[in-house]
Amino acid sequence: MNATDATNDARTPAGQDRPALCPRCAHEEITAVADSPVPGVWQVFQCARCLYMWRTTEPARRTTREAYPVGFRMTAADIETASEVPTVPPLLNR
Amino acid sequence: MPYDDLRSFLDTLEKEGQLLRITEEVLPEPDIAAAANAAGRIGDGAPALWFDNVKGFMDARIAMNVHGSWRNHALALGLPKETSPREQVEEFARRWDAFPVAPERRADAPWQENTVTGEDVNLFDILPLFRLNDGDGGFYLDKAAVVSRDPEDPDHFGKQNLGTYRMEVIGRDRLALQPVPVHDIAKHLRIAEERGEDLPVAITLGNDPVVPIVAGMPLRYDQSEYEMAGALRGAPMPIATAPHTGLDVPWGAEVVIEGVVESRVRQIEGPFGEFTGHYSGGRRMPVIRIERISYRTNPVFESLYLGMPWTECDYLVGPNTSVPLLKQLRAEFPEVRAVNAMYTHGLLVIISTAKRYGGFAKAVGMRAMTTPHGLGYVSQVILVDEDVDPFDLPQVMWAQSAKVNPKEDVIVLPNLSVVELAPASQPAGVTSKMIIDATTPVAPDVRGNFGTPVKDLPETAEWTKRLRALLADR
Repeated sequence: MNATDATNDARTPAGQDRPALCPRCAHEEITAVADSPVPGVWQVFQCARCLYMWRTTEPARRTTREAYPVGFRMTAADIETASEVPTVPPLLNR
Repeated sequence: MPYDDLRSFLDTLEKEGQLLRITEEVLPEPDIAAAANAAGRIGDGAPALWFDNVKGFMDARIAMNVHGSWRNHALALGLPKETSPREQVEEFARRWDAFPVAPERRADAPWQENTVTGEDVNLFDILPLFRLNDGDGGFYLDKAAVVSRDPEDPDHFGKQNLGTYRMEVIGRDRLALQPVPVHDIAKHLRIAEERGEDLPVAITLGNDPVVPIVAGMPLRYDQSEYEMAGALRGAPMPIATAPHTGLDVPWGAEVVIEGVVESRVRQIEGPFGEFTGHYSGGRRMPVIRIERISYRTNPVFESLYLGMPWTECDYLVGPNTSVPLLKQLRAEFPEVRAVNAMYTHGLLVIISTAKRYGGFAKAVGMRAMTTPHGLGYVSQVILVDEDVDPFDLPQVMWAQSAKVNPKEDVIVLPNLSVVELAPASQPAGVTSKMIIDATTPVAPDVRGNFGTPVKDLPETAEWTKRLRALLADR
């Protein structure tokens, strides 16, 4: 299944710059998930690959690639090799 | 009177001085989580926290730390707020004996006031979502109760499960769900996935204060959490039928989210700062597709901060972990006086017991490790005498320092089972386990020089009450 949620559109909020990179995995495909109910205060973005979600008013350590802690970063390989919990069981023959 | 919803409990907390309203504007992050984190650092009388002035939101109402102190936990059970942890555990165990108490089905649930379905479903429209810890992969629902049924036996009320599982918001109508394989919902999901079917679920947020206690309780697979809630409340638990799935949900919930766990789908989830005080994730986990949300007008969003203990999570799962162990141990060993299993969901347990004969306390320790919960958790057991209060850590440390001869009283057993989340396990899921026998040896175990112990004076208990009363009346 594609990691991108079909319910998330790719609008760029008016007057706001879409982040160029996911802070966590450096992927370039970012979607806008929500705008603040009070217009123009914040947006919520999501990475289409690692599904990391963040609000623009969060501290830089959560919102910028440069400040994102090395220990929390994720790579494409991390995602591909991540274990399944729980594992998908075999289909029963009926 | 038991509470039928969260709002009536918040009213009581406020009257009792156990709800603090934060009226200044705060940022969704990091303020709300940091304040709830701080509540765990200001002592064991900490209040619940209420936020309704959150930057960027119009109508956010957020309750944190609702169970986050012994006072609040006591009030949730309808006990006086001064009730000690040990007394709360004893009362909890006493009420358990009334199980099962059949629930009461009610109409006109307050969450029927508003409904969204299909393409209109958007969690962000209804919930003021926010992140808890720096390394969390997103915004989580971590204090919700998830209801599901056994697909092979859908009419069995006891097999219908109500449990707290972490859920990450991964889209406007998508949640990632963590069903640890030993949990009941994982069994439901496995059966559904073997058939290639979706598993219907209902997720209830902002519940009456007994629901989070029973939803985190290690009950048997066929035991109903609603019937346990009735026993703890001392009155039937009010439930209602969720309109989309037909599942039984708490009548008093603020929000009821209905949908399905999509069959045979996994997506990257986490990490999430867990009850162990460490992150877990990212792993590929099942996904819930939301199809309908029902909610009270201006819903209260209740969440829970967890991280380095102690946090609300520890107060919430401390007593409900101690009681099953106490009941199971006492069933075979009536000498067991009290069980404190409040450390990391029972990874460490302190047991107070009388001794039948030499070596008896060590046997009680081994039995604790082989109870249903012990198989996955109890890795360290400290045994203390019957006159030592296992909830009084300075007393426990006295017993350990004075009574333990390490060579004979510390026993390490290699390669036993434990939950994979246990950070010290190696490989994950396997650990050594330890018994520390800090009881006084009795015949035929005649080791040590314990002579005649100094006991509290017979009149001390009466004077304790008297001093407390005098202090309270000042």
